[in-house]
Amino acid sequence: MTDFSQSLALIAAEELLTVVGLVLLLCAAWMGDKASRMISIVAVAALVACAFIAAPALCGGLMGPERVAFMGQYTADAFAAFAKLLIYASGIASLIVAPRFFGQVGAMRAEYPILILFAVLGMNMMVSATDFLTLYIGLELNSLAAYVLASFLRNDERSAEAGLKYFVLGALASGIILFGMSLTYGFTGSTNFTAVALAMDGTLATGALFGLIFVLAGLAFKISAVPFHMWTPDVYEGAPTPVTTFFATAPKVAALALTMRVALGAFGTQVDAWQQIVIFVSLASIVVGALGAIGQSNIKRLLAYSSINNVGFLLIGLAAATQEGASAMLVYLAIYVAMSVAGFVVVLMLRDAEGRPVEVIADMAGLSRTRPALAWALAAVMFSLAGIPPLFGFWGKFVVFQAAVNADLIALAAIGIAASVIGAFYYLKVVKIVFFDEPANVVAESGESGVDALAHKVMLLIACLFISPLGYLLTPWLGELADKAAAALYFVG
Amino acid sequence: MIHIIAFYLFAVLLIASAVLVIMSRNPVHSVLWLILAFFNAAGLMVLVGAEFIAMLLVIVYVGAVAVLFLFVVMMLDIDFAELRAGFVKNFPLGILLAVVLLAELVLGFGAYRAGTLKLGEADGTAATIAGRSNIESIGALLYGEYLFLFEAAGLVLLVAMIGAIVLTHRERTDTRGQNVSKQNKRRAEDATVNVKPEVGKGVTL
Amino acid sequence: MTAFFQSLGMNYEWAWFIATVCGILLIALPLMLAVAMIIYVDRKVWAAINLRRGPNVVGPLGLLQSFADGLKVFLQETIIPSAANKGIFILAPIVTFTVALGAWAVIPFDAGVVLADINVGLLYILAISSLSVYGVVMAGWASNSKYPFFSAMRASAQMISYEVSIGFILVCVVLYAGSFNLTEIVMSQKGHGLGIVNGYVFNILLFPMWVMFFISSLAETQRVPFDLTEAESELVAGYQTEYSSMSFALFWLGEYANILLMCSLNTILFFGGWLPPIDWAPLYYVPGIIWFLLKTFFFFFMFSWVMATVPRYRYDQLMRLGWKIFLPISLLFVVLISGWLMFTRYA
Repeated sequence: MTDFSQSLALIAAEELLTVVGLVLLLCAAWMGDKASRMISIVAVAALVACAFIAAPALCGGLMGPERVAFMGQYTADAFAAFAKLLIYASGIASLIVAPRFFGQVGAMRAEYPILILFAVLGMNMMVSATDFLTLYIGLELNSLAAYVLASFLRNDERSAEAGLKYFVLGALASGIILFGMSLTYGFTGSTNFTAVALAMDGTLATGALFGLIFVLAGLAFKISAVPFHMWTPDVYEGAPTPVTTFFATAPKVAALALTMRVALGAFGTQVDAWQQIVIFVSLASIVVGALGAIGQSNIKRLLAYSSINNVGFLLIGLAAATQEGASAMLVYLAIYVAMSVAGFVVVLMLRDAEGRPVEVIADMAGLSRTRPALAWALAAVMFSLAGIPPLFGFWGKFVVFQAAVNADLIALAAIGIAASVIGAFYYLKVVKIVFFDEPANVVAESGESGVDALAHKVMLLIACLFISPLGYLLTPWLGELADKAAAALYFVG
Repeated sequence: MIHIIAFYLFAVLLIASAVLVIMSRNPVHSVLWLILAFFNAAGLMVLVGAEFIAMLLVIVYVGAVAVLFLFVVMMLDIDFAELRAGFVKNFPLGILLAVVLLAELVLGFGAYRAGTLKLGEADGTAATIAGRSNIESIGALLYGEYLFLFEAAGLVLLVAMIGAIVLTHRERTDTRGQNVSKQNKRRAEDATVNVKPEVGKGVTL
Repeated sequence: MTAFFQSLGMNYEWAWFIATVCGILLIALPLMLAVAMIIYVDRKVWAAINLRRGPNVVGPLGLLQSFADGLKVFLQETIIPSAANKGIFILAPIVTFTVALGAWAVIPFDAGVVLADINVGLLYILAISSLSVYGVVMAGWASNSKYPFFSAMRASAQMISYEVSIGFILVCVVLYAGSFNLTEIVMSQKGHGLGIVNGYVFNILLFPMWVMFFISSLAETQRVPFDLTEAESELVAGYQTEYSSMSFALFWLGEYANILLMCSLNTILFFGGWLPPIDWAPLYYVPGIIWFLLKTFFFFFMFSWVMATVPRYRYDQLMRLGWKIFLPISLLFVVLISGWLMFTRYA
């Protein structure tokens, strides 16, 4: 009998999430939807507790064999901890914004926080995966919860459509990943990332190349990079907004961290084989994300294209295939999560006089005169997403381009910078509508009061402070943590 | 000898029934052929000594999944004319896919024959533990090396179940269900009264 | 038996082949005879409980009644409805009958008296019994008639529901026995209760499991009170409505062969199979097969007894019993029993 005590100690966060999730599920079954607020609070508390478990690993920059559990299937290093902290933050955000949104249509159900918890659990496994089996099971756990969350408003046609689309295409992507994994396993004889990297060193067998491409294609679907991005606008638009908040942040972080771990770890000895693909995907995502957003009239669709666009910029860091690039990606991810949360909280706070959500961009015209604070927050988000200098979003793009230039990918960086100018157009268009157009008077004049509304405001304030120029005070600290995490990713033991 | 006969019997039946799954016009027939295919696959697994997997295949796929599948297919009202109309429309696409798959097969097989494809070498780590039945070997792996993934896979199934219930369960208020414990708790003295009505007065309940 | 045929000068493979065929015949033919007789017993017990006489005309005490019935259906014309799906319609009773016989391959009648002593015996039984629903479903669908169709729907739902809890009950037994092999399961019951009585049923943790197994085996064989598939007040004769003559008889035979199988499983899993009830040397002089048959027929008597006394369940009650009562309880006992064994046996 193998001794698992060390392994079990390393997965403390997963154990906590599982136990809390199961207990809350029983509470939900017995007490019904009345208990959903209590369950949400406990779920948030559990995520905070998990953050306290992850934080020491990140601050201590832990790595190496003593952080590896279950014979190499799982790694609780600083890199995983960085991604986990971002995931917990997004999970907490989407739990806090949910009650008001669902309460409006009387659809707040006790299963929502539980599904979020299990999705977070799956993402925990994804970012800690150092084995293709862990990768796949984590991915499926996250995806299944996500499919259900997307169609959580089951009486709403768009929500059902979003869930179905996400499910069908997600299943296809899972199939592609599985196919790639089995090819990789067949040609390398192992599912462990380190062993795969060792086996792939030297000349790459054609079959293994196919495996590599299929795995990366499947992962590109999960991070919604072009050309596997088609589902994103429909799912983001159709899913309930708190769920969209979640989709735009946590799974993105998890899937990108996973992609980094796979590309730089398992396939790290064959950088040449995938670098071209990643460069293409990143440029295509930047361009398609920017051009696609221009014609959108729905703010959620616009944010979906913006997320495709941002994934493109993130992948520039991956294309660099250096430790600096990985560190830059993590910094960008942290900023991206803050921007997305701020953006969606603003969308959630836009309601008409009867409390219905306002999603059409034209209805926001003249917001600056009726709700100036909200308008300024929206402007900050848009400027930050566009990467316009005083705001923190610029810093993320800057470190990524710097990493690309240092890795001699000057052309890529140049095209990326040029393309971000196209992106700036539609962000500025929204700002123009909000500040300079005649008021449409659709959005209710004053916000609601109460605990939930206060929570929205506090979250928006924190996120806006983070993306405001004040965020630059954090750069040394953020950079140091990201460096530690990237060092853990590059640790060869 | 018997081994070989059994192998060819199962293999031929498996392929034939798999072909018939896609060839038969009636979907119910397709499902029944599919069941036969599963069954023969289980037979092949017994022949290679994986009796536990074989039995699981029959119990899970034939005994549960295919029953539900048949259940659904039997209740479907399928318009065959419409299906065939779609066939003509999608025919070029189908041919294209078939050609691509064929090309892949030819390329892969050709590369393998030419020696450019090298499959990973078996190192014996997946072999059954000597002197143990394959149930014991699988158990030792699932609850040993793969404990974490096994439990996590259990959670995947749990989430799927929660999802199915969240999306489809509706509390019916227009039906009157049976409350068994309430019925059992009810006693004769709670439900009946003994009265001696006076003649001509009647009873108030 | 293979060794015997080899001594006649055959090579191993032929000897094995002939021995297996002989073994199949040695099981199947007495089984058919037994089925004919238990149909008679069934009717007699039922009649006795109803204060009737039951079959008493054909042969002494009516003993030949089943054979007369068999001859009657054999001479009738097989009618296939014109709207039926002919191939499946004919295949359905054959499937039911074949599957009912197939499960007997792993049943040990005595120490070493078993056709195939495989180490996944119990799983094989579970696999084969899960196949038996196909006969009913195919018959119901192929008949192209509404009552058989309803019956097929009910049958598939019912079988799946009860197989789940049966699976967990079997896990409990397997946990105690430490094997899926039926012979080993029987042997592990020797002196199980305080070293005196043979049989898991005398174990306080397994007794509730046996009660549930017995009830589930009624449901699994679609016997009263769970014979929703052929509830005559609602569905005429269920999936058999359109069948006549031999095709009908095959259903009938298959059904009773299944009932006998479930009785023998009760015997093997909980009542010590061919072992005498008490672990006392003189009782072992009685051949094991006698004990086995006595126990099996005792359970058949219980099946008849239940049929004569219990009214039929409603469909929703059947589902409630399976999913809301048996499933949680059997799961609870899997946890309890594995916990107890971890604590006592593997600590």
